[in-house]
Formats: sequence, structure tokens, C-alpha cells
Amino acid sequence: MLELQVNGGFYRLEAPDERTLAEALRDDLGLTGTKIACGEGHCGACTVMLDGTPVLSCITLVHTVGPREITTIEGLRDHPLVDAFVEADAVQCGFCTPGQIVSAAALMRANPQPSREEIRHALAGNLCRCGTYPKIEKAIYRGASQGSPASLLPQS
Amino acid sequence: MPRLLKTEREVEGRVEESWILVEEDALDQWPAGPLVTVGRPAARVDGRERARGEARYTADVRLPGMLHAAVVRSPHAYAVATRVDLERALAAPGVRAAIGPGDAPGLAAEAGHFGAPVAALAADTEAQARAALELVDVEWDVREPLLDPDEAVARGELHGKPRRHERGDVDAALAEADVVVEAEYRTQTLLHNALETHQAVCEWEGDRLTVYVSTQYIWEVRDQVADELGIPRDKVLVICRFMGGGFGAKNDPGDYTLVAAVLARRAGRPVRCALTRREENIGAGNRNATIQRLTAGARADGTLVALRGEYVCALGWDGWLPSTAGPMQMLYACENVETVEYGARLNTPPMAAFRAPGFVEGVWGLELLLDEVAAKLELDPLEVRMRNHADADPKDARPFSAKNLMECYRRAEPHWERRDDVRSRSDGPWRRGVGLATQIWFGSAAPPSYATVRLESSGRATVGTAMQDIGTGTRTAMAQIAAEELGFPLERVEVLVGDSSRGGYAVVSGGSSTTSTMGPAVRSAAADARRQLIEIAAQRFGVEEGILAVQDGKIVAAHGGSWPVEEVTRLLEHAQIVGKGACGPNPTGMRVLTFGVHVAEVAVDVETGEVRVERVYAVHDVGRIVNPLGASSQVEGGIIQGIGHTLSEQRLLDPSSGTVLTQTLDAYKLPTIADTPPEIVCEFVDRPDAHLTNLGSKGLGEPPIIPIAPAIANAIRDATGADVRSLPVTREEMLRALREAREREPVHTSQPV
Amino acid sequence: MSPFTLRSPSSLDEIGGVPLAGGTDLVPLVQDGLVEASELANIRELLPRGIDGDRIGAGTSLAEIERSPDVPDALREACRLAASPQLRAMGTVGGNLRQATRCWYWRLGFPCYLHGGERCHARDGEHREHAIFGNERCASAHPSDPAAALLALRARVGTTRRTLPLTDLYRLPTDDDRDVVTLERGELILWIEVERPDASAYLKAMDRQRFSFPLVGVAAARFGADVRLALAGVAPIPWLLGSPAELGDAKPLPGTAYKVELADALVRRALDAVATG
Repeated sequence: MLELQVNGGFYRLEAPDERTLAEALRDDLGLTGTKIACGEGHCGACTVMLDGTPVLSCITLVHTVGPREITTIEGLRDHPLVDAFVEADAVQCGFCTPGQIVSAAALMRANPQPSREEIRHALAGNLCRCGTYPKIEKAIYRGASQGSPASLLPQS
Repeated sequence: MPRLLKTEREVEGRVEESWILVEEDALDQWPAGPLVTVGRPAARVDGRERARGEARYTADVRLPGMLHAAVVRSPHAYAVATRVDLERALAAPGVRAAIGPGDAPGLAAEAGHFGAPVAALAADTEAQARAALELVDVEWDVREPLLDPDEAVARGELHGKPRRHERGDVDAALAEADVVVEAEYRTQTLLHNALETHQAVCEWEGDRLTVYVSTQYIWEVRDQVADELGIPRDKVLVICRFMGGGFGAKNDPGDYTLVAAVLARRAGRPVRCALTRREENIGAGNRNATIQRLTAGARADGTLVALRGEYVCALGWDGWLPSTAGPMQMLYACENVETVEYGARLNTPPMAAFRAPGFVEGVWGLELLLDEVAAKLELDPLEVRMRNHADADPKDARPFSAKNLMECYRRAEPHWERRDDVRSRSDGPWRRGVGLATQIWFGSAAPPSYATVRLESSGRATVGTAMQDIGTGTRTAMAQIAAEELGFPLERVEVLVGDSSRGGYAVVSGGSSTTSTMGPAVRSAAADARRQLIEIAAQRFGVEEGILAVQDGKIVAAHGGSWPVEEVTRLLEHAQIVGKGACGPNPTGMRVLTFGVHVAEVAVDVETGEVRVERVYAVHDVGRIVNPLGASSQVEGGIIQGIGHTLSEQRLLDPSSGTVLTQTLDAYKLPTIADTPPEIVCEFVDRPDAHLTNLGSKGLGEPPIIPIAPAIANAIRDATGADVRSLPVTREEMLRALREAREREPVHTSQPV
Repeated sequence: MSPFTLRSPSSLDEIGGVPLAGGTDLVPLVQDGLVEASELANIRELLPRGIDGDRIGAGTSLAEIERSPDVPDALREACRLAASPQLRAMGTVGGNLRQATRCWYWRLGFPCYLHGGERCHARDGEHREHAIFGNERCASAHPSDPAAALLALRARVGTTRRTLPLTDLYRLPTDDDRDVVTLERGELILWIEVERPDASAYLKAMDRQRFSFPLVGVAAARFGADVRLALAGVAPIPWLLGSPAELGDAKPLPGTAYKVELADALVRRALDAVATG
């Protein structure tokens, strides 16, 4: 039996040793906001936070997570970045968007007022095939400059 | 009153005439410019669902008892499966059904490319299904693959006949030209890589089939699946509420949907068939590579007198020949033109439509050729383009329904004039320059297409159509159009799409035809609903219909009275107003096209071959703009996808075995946010096409990807004097071109002959 | 993926199976069957972690090094330009030194020389990302940016069994042994120690601005008048370049000749960068 701490709640599940965190979130816990687009660590769609750090859940074995707090997009639904993304039109097909927002939220946690260069550096691991990047950059930049730093932290 | 009409439709360069049933299209177009809702920026109506991870994609569909399919694929580029034995696989843990060649459409014994599907099975878990693949015993008769497109042409291995176009006398015109430029241009094979891979979940309930599928064309899936399985079309329900991109590769059901349907029938349980990223990059379609051998003849003043092009399109095992010579035939006023296009049939994975198929490739060659003509004549490339502007379709003298390309050129001028300043900012090894290119693409609507608008007692409106939102913001544009016509605020309009039971036939989300086709249908449905609302209001308030209108959710009378819409709709209780609408015909005898210009500023590190795109100006003439915010995202997205095409993306095959080597996203390099130009300026002519439908809008999905590669390559020449004629412009290609340019010096300027 | 057992040993002495820390390379390799493992040992919590003077624990993430003001510029920059933010947050520097090549033939399981086969498929095939040095038998390129930086920084490596110069960690594959590292079975990297240079730099050419393995990476570190150069992406192992002139000894394949030109330009720039400061 495995215990996971996700978005402030505790979950118990049985999982084979080879189960990845992404599979566990999506298939065992029903948290399908986390997407799998490549399944091998090359695109960032599966990004979640572990203790506030963005990681790739598709190549993280769920049994190695331990007591670390997992934050998925479901835990960031009321984060100001969601509105910032929608208002800036930083969402096209939307398949990469949850991962983008998790990475952006992690960036703002570490750096509440990132520069454009810092945004580009921190979001470079989240591919968007629709090419929404200018709007994503704008959404994060605006989201960061408008919200007070404290309000932009994940609510946990 | 329904009318049967004949109309022309032109989807991605394929022209067909068809009969359409049109309910009515008597609406005058709205005046040009921003209206109350249409023409003003709107955030996506479904943006929050997507951003919050609530939107349910096909990838998120989990049905009770659902099995997972896996597909056996050919490890050879060309081979025939002489024996396929499923026994061992069927006995494996969790496996519930297995099928071989001929059991489902798409599964074939003859494997014409690496990764061709041969057999499939379904198991309780994905891991069990993948593990059982190893247990399918296949004996292969391996054949010698044909991988070289020129050799395929020489051997006559073609899809269809070579397509020829001839007008005037090219040889005579070239003999009299002041300057003749000949060059060979190449484009690479590109992979769509929508982030949601191709996938479907199929579930049978009795003789009814429900298909959840990531598709650009719900109706085509419905019809093809029904026809292939031999069941009535109305027995198939197709659902695609949200989809994670398509870019042209999801226009039909694909083998994965049919495999899932057949396996589901055999197993008596729902089956999911989802391609992995690697399968996606092997077998889900590609933009075909081209070899273009082009010649241009011009007079000293830049007037084009002759164009000739031979286009070899490496289509692969399957596919269709996109109009690659179209831009050469249609973009410039040139009397003598000769083109031939070959569709090489190779043992490589099949092509599929990819965002402006053919024209992306054709404009690459043509717009580089034009700059080479300008350079030889020492003329301004923009001037040469304006000089050769076509006032009517140069192919058949048909008038354009609307063409504002000259205005695009004029608007591009100040950005083009930045080049002295840009060049002067060259610094050490970094050379800077500016380039431009023109785009041309189809713009007509693709009727038929139908929509309804329903008004309920709550005073809210629901638009229903059986279309899908590929991610371009279709729901939002349709909501804006309905709101405008109804006189409702945007938030009072709900748009239901993504389900074949939600309306009549709806067009493909492809060929840039969504807004141009569905927009008019939604508008006429909204107009019908508004008419009925006013009829009822007139009875309710005892006034003439003629003095009533709907504005901002209120019924307003010419004499000053004003009532909230609910006061009328409340009377309805469970009765509803249903407005019906359809897309009307395209204008007869006219060419409906879109145009645009991109101006790119680049910096090239001449020691390392690094190319950075620093600024792009884009102006497009696509008729009325419904949502300027969403439209700018389309343009930016096209530019960025095009930058990937230009600088980093290429599918590579092992030259001896035909194996796809770039299956993973570390090897196939999509652009990242760090590859985005720091500045993209996006403008629209935003003038409704007066001849086109009740809306005057053309599509915008494809145009912005067309001119970006040649604009960048022309800027590279401006910056460095080096000719890049082959995509992608990787470090090695850039360094090669720079070396070639150095060796050519000091013969840098050439005189007109 | 064939099932495996994942164990969490309580000390580094008890490790059976394949050690797993960041997992950014190992997990996909196991999923692809390129590393056969019936047992993985999760040692993430057991590895020394953090930066203490010139010593870096093998379990330190690339992200931590990227943020550290205490490491020499070349190493910090190599980490900053490696992979993606998520991968840098997960991946450890010890694991990074051991990461496998990105050669597509090797990754797709071709029976190539590095997999124990007869020939290198890349030499006659597609090899634009491949080696210009040490490529006679296997033309794969080593993808680690930090390894090149650490080579230039005269790094020493401490393992569970010995201390060795980083140069001795790597070996070109031979007919008898196709491995590219000299670690014995069960031997683990525990820490890395760098020498403090007077100046150092890392320059990287890649196919996109971020999130790409190096086509060529050049690290330079100056110790007094002595400058040490090391390259990433040019040989099956991180490559120490005795002098800029040694670039003339490169034996590129037809598709990698450009890498010599690229390396030449980056070496000159790196030398300029460390000449002062």
C-alpha cells in the first residue's frame, strides 16, 4: 500500500513497482488534468510539482515519491495564473496548458517577479505545438506583475 | 425555403463542384469594422476548462470495462507478412481479442513502410497489450525498399499521373528574358506532433457504435466508420468535445479508430486505441518532402516573363499530391508558366495534410526564386513583388472575390524599410538582415454546413452544431457571431460542439474553412431565432414587428420602449425558439483566396551558423476578423510552427532500412518558448469579402505558416549573402551556405545579362 | 516494460540491482528495455547531496548547481544550458556523468557496436549529431554538458571504492568491452571535486535555444597560464582537448564535418572568455 499526498489530500493506492506518477494520478486517482503527451520526458505535458519543484510525472516512478507533497493542476485551479492564461489567450488546444501552468506556478513560487528572459528559461521544458508561447510569456509576465506575490503561491 | 444549388468548394487546393442544399442566405453582410461583439477581442469561452485541466479529451476517456489496444507494426520498410499467428498472443495474460491482416480496415499483409499496421490486439491493461505484441508471430517476406524520390519518378512509381499545367510559351519567353535564374530548392519531411496523439475509444451498445476520437472532422469519421463496417451511418455516434491539436493529420478516422471498433465488437467491451508518441511519429502522417527545380525569366525591370517548375513530392506509401505548384501558377501575373508535379510512391510512411499542404512548400521555392531574380537585377524584392501583382487569377483570368495584397505590401513597407537600420546593428560575428515573403492560400467557404440556435425561457441561447474545436477557438468565434446577430451579450450564448448528434452536417476543421463555413451557418440560424423572438415580442407588447430590435439582451422599440429578453422568453416555459441556418454558396465564377506578407528580421552568427529570428511582422488579408485576440494567436502559432519547420525540425530515416530515426521529441526538435522571436507584430486588413457569404470571413488557420520560411531565408541572404535553399537551416546547412558564399566572392554582384 | 522490483535500501552498502536516483535517463531506458533490470535500488535519499566548498555530492541536482554561486562558471553554465527545468530539478550530477548517448540507432535498439554488435550503424547512416573524435568503432556522441565542464575543471570523482580523476572515469568502447565508463559492477559515484580555476566558461551549440543536447559544447578553464579545454557532443565520451590545434586531428564523418568548424569557433571564443577575469 502506497500513500500519496496530493493537493493537500491523502490518497492510498496499490500500484505495481513500475507504475509512474503520471499513470497513478490519471488512472488510479482520476486526476486527468495532468496529461501524457510523450511518456518519456521530452515534452513537459505531465509536469507536476513535488514540494514545489516542477518534475516530469511520466518518468517518475510513483513509489519513489515518498512523503513529498504533489501539486497537480487540480490543486492550482484557483491560482491567478489560470485567469491570466485565459485573459491573455495563452490557451489554444489546451493539451499542454496544465503543464505550462504548473511550471509557471513553480517559477512564481521561486521568483515572484520573473523577467521575460527568466520566463523563457523556466518554461523551456514545456512544449506547445500550437505555438502559444508569446501569449504564455505575456500571461505569466502580467500575472506576476499584477498579483501580489503572496496571492500567487499555491493554496496549500 | 430550401434551395438546391451548385457550388464550387476548394479545400486545401482540391477543387470540386457539388450540389448543396441551402436553407436560406438572404442576410446582408454586417458593415465593416468592429461591431458590438464580432471584431472585438474575446477570451476563449472554454479557456478555463482547458487551463484548469477539466476539459475531457479523448485521452481522458475511461469507460467501465475498457480494454487497451496495441498494434503490431512492420519492422521493415517493405515486406509482406506471409503468416500471422495470433494464437500465442491470445493466450497471454489479459488479452481479450486479436485481429490480423484483413480483419479491420488498415491492417494489411503488405507492409509498404516501416511501422505499417499488420495486426492488433486488446487487453485489460496497456502494459499487457504491449507485452503481448511480442507474442504475435509474423513471418516476413522482406523486399527491397524504394526510398529515393527522384528514382521513384524515373521508375514511374507514382501516385496518379504527373500533374501538368502549361500556359504561354516558356521557352520563347526565357530566350528573350533579360535575366534567367535557375535553382533547386528542397523541403524536408515534417511531423505534425499534435500533443494529443491520434486515438479513439469505441463502444458498442447493441448495433449502435459510439466513437470517442481526437478528430478534426466528426462527420467524416461517422461516415467512413459506418461505411467501412457496413452499418448505417446513423448508427454511429462520434464524440470529440476537446482535442489536443491536429494540424491536418486528423481529417479521417484512421486505422486506429477502425481497429478499436473491430476489437470492441469482438471482445464485447469498449476498446481504446491510442498511438504512442513514437507510433505518432512513425505512422500518423507527415508533410511530404519536396525537390523543386525552378526557373524564372524576367525583364530588367523585374517583370516576370516565364516561370517553370518541376516538383517531386515524396508522398510515401500512401497519400495525395498536394498542389505544390499552385503558388507558381497563381501568385504572380506571368503569362508563360509550365509546371509538373510528381507524387513519388515510396516505402516511407504516408503523407497527410499538414497546415497548408503544398503551398508551404511551393511558396518556399517561389519566394526564394523571386529574391534571387531581384538580387540579379539589383532590384528591391518588395518592388519586384508589387510589379508582378496579379489583378485577376493568372491561370484563367477569373476575378478575385476580394484581394488586398497591395495593401498588405503597403503596410509591410515601413517594416521592410527597417532593413538599413537592422543591418547596421550587425555586431561581430552576428550579421543582421531583413527578408520578406508573400502568402497565397484558399479562402472559400466549404458548404454545406448547418447550425441551430435555440432560445429558452431563461433568455439564454444555445448554438448547436456537429462541428469540433481543434483548438483554434472555434467555440468562441461561433459564440461571438451568434451573440452579435441575436443582440445578446456574449456570456448569454452557449456553444455545443463536438458531438455528431448535436446538429446537422458540419465542415472539417481544416483547409482554413471553419470560420468561413460555420460562421455564416451560425449567423443565419441566429437571425432565424431573432426573427422568431421579435415576432413573439410584437404579439406580447402589441407593437409592429418592424419597430423592434434586440440589443444587449433587451428588446428595444424604435419609440423608446425597452424590455429584457426574459420578459418574452419567460412566456415560452418549456416551449423553445429554434432557429435554423446553413452556409450559403460560394460566389460563382470568382477566385476566393487569402493573401498576406511576412517581414522577418534575423541575426546570423557567421562563425557558428546559429540563426535567430528576432522580429516578425505579419499582415494578412483574410476578410472579416471575428476575434482579433484569437486571430493573433493563430498568426503567432503559425509563425512559431513555421520557425520550427525552418530551423530545427526534420524527420530522418535510416537510409538503408527506411526506419524512422526521429521518433522521440528529443530527436525531432519542436521549437520551445526560448525559440520564439522576442517581437511578433500581427496585423489584419480586416475588410469583409463582399462576395463571400453573409459573413465575409475567410479562414486563418493555415495562411500564417506559409510565408515564414522563405521570409527567414531571404533575411539570411540579406544578412550574410548566403543562399540557403534547403530546409531545415540547421548549423550544417547554414555553415555550408556561408562557405559557398565565401568561395563565390568577390563575384558578389551580377549584372543583368 | 518488463516488470521490475523497486527496493529502497537503507544504506549504500546493501545495494542490489541497478541504482536509481534522479531517474531521468534510467527510467526511460528501463521502460524501453535498453537497461535490463529485474531490480532497481532507490538511492535518492542515500546519496551525498549539496555543495560544500569544491566538493559536490553526487546526488545534487543540476538545478541546485545552476543556482549555486559557489561553483565555477563553466559548471554552472553547463548545468543551466542542460536539458529542461524539470529534468534539471530531477537529474543528479552523478547520474548525468553516466547518462547514455542519444544516438538514435542505440536508442532504438539497433544491434549496433555499442550494443555489442558488429558495426556502427551511424557511420553509414544518419549521423549529423554524432562524433568527430574517437569514432572509429562507435560514432555515438556523449551528451553530457556538465561532464565536459567538469573535465575542464580537473574534476576528481569519489566512488564507493576509490578516488579517480574524471578523465579515468571514461573509456572508449572496445571489442572486449563496450562500456564507456570504467565503473565496476555495484560501484557508485558519491561525490565530485573540482579545482577552482581563475576563470572558466562553457559555450554550447544546439539545434534550438534550450532543451537540446549539445551538437558541440566547449568548456574552458584557466588555471594560471594553463587553459584546459573539454568538449561535449563530439565523441562517445566527454573529450579532453589537449590544445586548440588538436581539432585538426578530428576525423569527422561526412555528416559531422560541420562540428569541427563549430568546435573551432567555440574554442576560440571560450579561450577569449577565460583569457581575463
